[in-house]
Amino acid sequence: MTDDEATPASDEVIEPPPIELTEAALEALLFVAERPLSRREIAGVAGVDRATVDARLGDLEVSLRARGLRLVSVGERVELATAPEAGPLVARYVGADAVRLSPAALETLAIVAYRQPVTKSAVERIRGVDSDYTIRTLVHRRLVVELGRSDAPGRPFLYGTGFDFLERFGMTSLDELPLLDVDVAARLAEEGGDATLAD
Amino acid sequence: MTGSAPSVAFGEGRRPESATQVTFEAFDGPLALLLSLIEARQLDVLTVPLGALADAYLDAMAGLGSERLPNVSAFVTVASQLILIKSRALLPRRDDGPPGVIDEEAPDPEAELRARLLVYRAHRDAGLALQERAIERVGLFRREPSAAHAAAMAGARAADPTPIDVAILVAALDGLARIAPPPDLPPEVVPRVITLSERAELIRAALAGADSVVLQELLRGVHDRVVVAVTFLALLELVKRREVVVEQDRPWGPIVARAVRGGPVADDAPIDESLESFR
Repeated sequence: MTDDEATPASDEVIEPPPIELTEAALEALLFVAERPLSRREIAGVAGVDRATVDARLGDLEVSLRARGLRLVSVGERVELATAPEAGPLVARYVGADAVRLSPAALETLAIVAYRQPVTKSAVERIRGVDSDYTIRTLVHRRLVVELGRSDAPGRPFLYGTGFDFLERFGMTSLDELPLLDVDVAARLAEEGGDATLAD
Repeated sequence: MTGSAPSVAFGEGRRPESATQVTFEAFDGPLALLLSLIEARQLDVLTVPLGALADAYLDAMAGLGSERLPNVSAFVTVASQLILIKSRALLPRRDDGPPGVIDEEAPDPEAELRARLLVYRAHRDAGLALQERAIERVGLFRREPSAAHAAAMAGARAADPTPIDVAILVAALDGLARIAPPPDLPPEVVPRVITLSERAELIRAALAGADSVVLQELLRGVHDRVVVAVTFLALLELVKRREVVVEQDRPWGPIVARAVRGGPVADDAPIDESLESFR
């Protein structure tokens, strides 16, 4: 609520005076937000430029490595979440359990996570089987999100992963995904984004 | 849980290429099946002659239940590729054939299928690694004070691993059924009935205690338009019966009703509720 009130509209003439965006202030802002904030949003609230936000987020990310919280980022947006090491304790407090998926859902999720943005047909090409139901189930569980539409004929949906995927699998960014098999990773690199538009 | 579970068992005294028992339900796709056939034999995906697996694959496909029909085409596609690969392996290769032969230019189906298997295996294994990580770390938690607080207050915790005895549940349900109060009946909407007789009695009673009555005074505080209309109709009915006379000086002015002194005694006949008399 207060975020919206404090966020000046882009066409607003009177802008509130900028506030120095210290690392501590940034941490406090993310703590209160209870939802992912975009870097642009943070810059708007503080009245500072994007470079400052990026720099402070970098500082905060480093500082938090020694703490029980982590900076989780998906593209433009960042949020505060508990550290992976704290997972079991917090999970016991809130009554959560680890996500458990079927082999079909797991391999589909892995394809989406590693190859995003990816179309359904590209997923099916790798799996060799119809994946409509599996993808819909993953979208329903918010582990997979629709990122938009491809420019390919039929404008198929492009799928990717969001905050829920990172949180449920204990990662703060996609950089933490375990490495794919070396040979295959090399092959995928050669192919480039080809498979995402295939079929 | 895993697609590579020991779902394929070997027949005795047969070549390793031919599995006799395959639990098909474990496989969601044809590549998963083919990979399991390879892994069950502890063969290397990079070197195994895929054509040699055609028989085992077809055996497994023969066990395909009707519930698998939507995916049959995917399995058949891979089966056809395996048969093609096997037939090519059996036929002599025309390595020294004339240049420009189409077959030699076409991509090698075995290499293609092998590449698909490798890509598939990499993602399957990555998925399994993700699952392990999720179980190990349980997850990250963002700040959701209301949800977390409510759950903790409610005593929420991880599911109890010991199964609950069904008899206990039945007994608890029985007890609940016994102590449960009868359900509240939904409120019934009863239309308020305003009758001409009732309103006529009201006017008569008012006139009994006073010389004249102003209709607007009688209806002071009444907001129900039906009540106002029926009262007015009752007044007209009394006028018709010559029990009262009505005066109004000007439009919208006070309507003054007076009892007719020495007139006919109030008629005991009930006022016609059908409003026929107003025609």
